[in-house]
Parts: sequence; structure tokens; C-alpha cells
Amino acid sequence: MNKRITIASGKGGVGKSMISSMISILFSKDNNVVAIDCDVDAPNLALWLGIDTSNKNLADKTKFISTTKKPQIDKSKCNNCGKCVQKCNFDALEKGKSYPKLISYRCEGCQLCKIVCPNNAIKMVSVKNCLLSIFQTDYNFSVIQGQIQPGEAESGEAVTEIRKYANSISRKDSIFIQDAAAGIGCPVIASIVNSNYVIIVAEPSKSSFSDMNRIIRVINQFEIPYGIVINKYGLNNNISNEIIKQSKNNFLGKVSYDQEIIKSIVNMTPIFETNLKAKKEIKDIFKKVNDLIFNDK
Amino acid sequence: MKNRKIVVTGGKGGTGKSTIAILIAFKALNQGKKVLLVDLDIECPNDYLILGINKLTNPSSNTYCYYPEIDPKKCKKCGLCISSCSSNALFKSKDSIPKLHKTLCSSCGVCWEICPHNAIKKVKEKNGEIYINKLSDNFTLATGRIIPGIRETSPVVTQTKKYLESYYKNFDLVIFDTAAGTHCNVIKALEGNQRAIAVTEPTPLGKHDLNIILKVLKVLNIPSHIVINQFDIGDINLIKEISKNNHSPIIGELPYNKKLAKIYSNGRFFENKNLSKLLNLNLVI
Repeated sequence: MNKRITIASGKGGVGKSMISSMISILFSKDNNVVAIDCDVDAPNLALWLGIDTSNKNLADKTKFISTTKKPQIDKSKCNNCGKCVQKCNFDALEKGKSYPKLISYRCEGCQLCKIVCPNNAIKMVSVKNCLLSIFQTDYNFSVIQGQIQPGEAESGEAVTEIRKYANSISRKDSIFIQDAAAGIGCPVIASIVNSNYVIIVAEPSKSSFSDMNRIIRVINQFEIPYGIVINKYGLNNNISNEIIKQSKNNFLGKVSYDQEIIKSIVNMTPIFETNLKAKKEIKDIFKKVNDLIFNDK
Repeated sequence: MKNRKIVVTGGKGGTGKSTIAILIAFKALNQGKKVLLVDLDIECPNDYLILGINKLTNPSSNTYCYYPEIDPKKCKKCGLCISSCSSNALFKSKDSIPKLHKTLCSSCGVCWEICPHNAIKKVKEKNGEIYINKLSDNFTLATGRIIPGIRETSPVVTQTKKYLESYYKNFDLVIFDTAAGTHCNVIKALEGNQRAIAVTEPTPLGKHDLNIILKVLKVLNIPSHIVINQFDIGDINLIKEISKNNHSPIIGELPYNKKLAKIYSNGRFFENKNLSKLLNLNLVI
């Protein structure tokens, strides 16, 4: 049976990708793992796995995929009536001199313009808006990432597409480790859907604690079990204690604050290759998650 | 000059967008200016917490979106709305009218426009709130915030900005603080600004994500500037390279400071306005 674990946080920069990279490596010892970077705006998971993603030659495969369609206006049929401009709920069409102009970065590809056009002047065409790449890690599993092209929207759809691609290269018993984006909106929801478990990463700050509670509200809507990890433990013990108290049985463990972690990413050294305290701490967290995932019925 | 606007963004999460936005606000306040800070990280707004407000209460206004409501008497179950929905938010359900999965709906309006039986009407629903907190005579914080579970979050950004338009003229400086990432709600927050500051950290992660947000700013035709947070604990050359390639000058640096991190975590910025001295900023505000 496939298992799907998503790492999310609400707040950005709290350590999702760092923890995802370690969890992926640890699961890969006994399982077939497919790691998916579900942050298609700013994918960083491969970097934490020691892969220089700016060197596209390192990718096993790259291809542009289309996760949206955009309107193309047939100038010979358009009489510039303005109905598409008026109806578009995203303000993506602007009245022009002889035909409407598309503001591409606002368009969500819903095709309302095409539907309302009385002259049949609009057709929807696929746009290759996301670069999908697959990198082989040094740990006998692959990491898949998508990169939305600058100024394109549709991050949520891109997450759904790269998940589909991950399915196509997976085995029946694969474990998917999904590193979600910051926030609690559409790309994060697209990551959480159909997960078996969510690891929420929080840091001991008022901001992160608040965002943690916001992501929990989203996860609860999907009735998915979750556990909580405190990263950068030691920055604020009062808030850590509050998080632990609130989390009760859902508390998975802590990762201590350590500036050496930043140094290791600057040197592109995966935490797994270091002797940092974080390595052992995440191993303990992994053991708990592993038990939860496999003892679950 | 009255009414200057600036937007603080960054691509990567946790690089210090809110910290830098607030420190710039403090610098302007110390110069005697009136400042409006607008938190447009509507999924996870935190500026209020950093500034010592524990809870947002009494919204000044609400934001809304529309969802389809299907009239069971008129619906012929033809399925056209389901097949036309590009967000897959409408589902066929056995012997009954289509079901809506709200968290997937983008409020695009295709279903109610396309229904041949006029069985779908749009119903207005609250999706977020706008808060205004006057922190002092010269400093006001405005916050847009979505209700958790909403998928389409960018209309909350647009409506928050629109609601605040009449306020801008009362301030010397308006600072917008965006969410992490580059998706629609960040783009909506960036739009209409003439200056942007991209906050980054000197790591390969910061470098990677900075490059992306600078490209987005280029598409939007907004001149960009770079501020490096924790510039002393990484490799600053990583950022210099991106700065050069994108013709985006580095105009500020903030060192790592343990005290600052602690003050941040406890939400004690407001009583520590002198912190703005830590930020070395080469920008007329």
C-alpha cells in the first residue's frame, strides 16, 4: 500500500524542507521512496538533499508541463463587445482598441471568457507554465520538483500535476514524502489532499504558533492525522512549552536550534552526512512517524 | 513627497520579510513620518503578533467570494457544470444534484454562466477579514486575513488593497508585506507598486528563491532592490551573483542578532523601535 506523508507549517522558513530531506532519507532505508517538492513557487528540497538544481545537467529528466489553459482571441471573429472583459472574475482581460488584451499573470484558465463570448472568438490553449525536473539523489530515491515559470499562477494545479507524475514512477508500496509550500491556501491544500499523515513543523515564535493553528484548521477539514515537530528548539522555551502542552499526544519531538545547520546548507551538505544533534533528533521523530504510519490498521 | 509606496517580498519563506518591513516602518517613524503597514500575507499574517497585538478583533470590514448554489427543482442533472469546472470542485453524486467541494472552488463563475437550465445562482460568502490597528498617532497596521480552508486566497489581497485605498493619502509611507512564494496572492500584493524590496538570506536556498522572485518582479515591471537578512552567517557572494545578473542592487543588510530573534519570537518589536538601527539601509523612504 502506498503511503503519503506531507510536511507543512503555515509559516515559511521554519524547516519544512530540511526535515523533509531527512525523513525521505530515513524512510528510504527500508522502503521505496518518492520525494516530491510541492513548493512549486520556490522548490528547495533537492538543495537540502545536496543537489545543485541550478545545474540542469544533473536532472534525470526535465520537461515543461502545462497546468493551465489561457484564452486566445481570434481577431477576425472578435467584435470587441467587451463581454469577456466584464465577466472575468480575475480582471485578466483588459479592453483594448480593437480586441481585449490578456494580462497573463492574472488568468486562472477557467474559460469563462470562452463560454460567455457571443462570437465564438475565444479558444483555450495549453500553456507550458511549469518546469518539472527529476533528480536522482545519493540515497537510492528520486526527488521530483516543479518550478512555476515567473509570473505564472496556478501553483495548486501544478502541485496536482507533479503528484500525478510522481504516481507514474512509483511502486505499489512507495512512500511519498511531500514537502509543502508555506501558507494555507491553494497549493498547500493541493498537497495535503489524500495524505495519510501530515508532519507540521513549527518554530517557537508567536508567529509560527499562530500559523500552526491555522494549518491545523485546514488539516482537520480533511480529517487527516497529524503530528507536530518543534524546530529551532531553544529560541524560546516558553512558547515551546505552550506548543507542547497544546499538542498533547500529537507532539512528535524537537530539533534544537543550531547555526551549524545553516553552515551545512551553505556547503550543500545534507544533514544526514553531518554529526549534528539535529540528525539524531530527526531520527527519533522518524521512528515515531514510521510506527504511526505502519501500525495504522 | 506624500504617499510613497513600497512592497516587501522575497520568494522564500522565513527570510525576514515581516522583520524588514517593520524595521523600515520604524526608520520612517523615527524620521517623524506617518506610516501605514499593510500585512498582505493573508494566509498567515504575523505582523500584528510581532508588534505585540495578541489577537485580531473587530474587523473593519470583510472580504467576500461567490459560490454556486444549485436549485434542485431546476437542475436537470445534465452534468455540464461538472465537466466545465476546471477546478474539479463540482462532483456528480448518485441520483442527486451536483455536489460542491468548497475548498476546491475558485469562484470563477463558469458553472452559473454555463448552466442551460438557469439552475445555479451565485451566493456571496465571507472569505476573509480586514483589520485596522492604530498602534500610535503615526503608525497604523492593516491586516488582511483569510478564513482557513479557503482555496482561492488572492481575492482577499485585492479586496484588502481596495478597501485601504482611501487611507493611503493620510500617510507618508505605505509598506506592503507579502506572503512567501510567487503565486497569485503574492502577485496581487506586488501589483501596482513602483518599488519592491526582496528580502533574502545568504544561502543556496535564499539565492535560488531570490532569483525567482526577481524574475517575477521583472515580468510585473516593478524595479527591485535586495536586502540581505543574517548577512553575516552565510556566503554573501551567492546573493551578489544574483544581484548582478538581475540588475537589482543590494540596498540593505541586517546582521544575525540573537536578541532580535528573541524579541521577534515574543512579539516585542513595538517597544524596541531602536532595533531599526541594526538595519543598514541605503534607501530614501
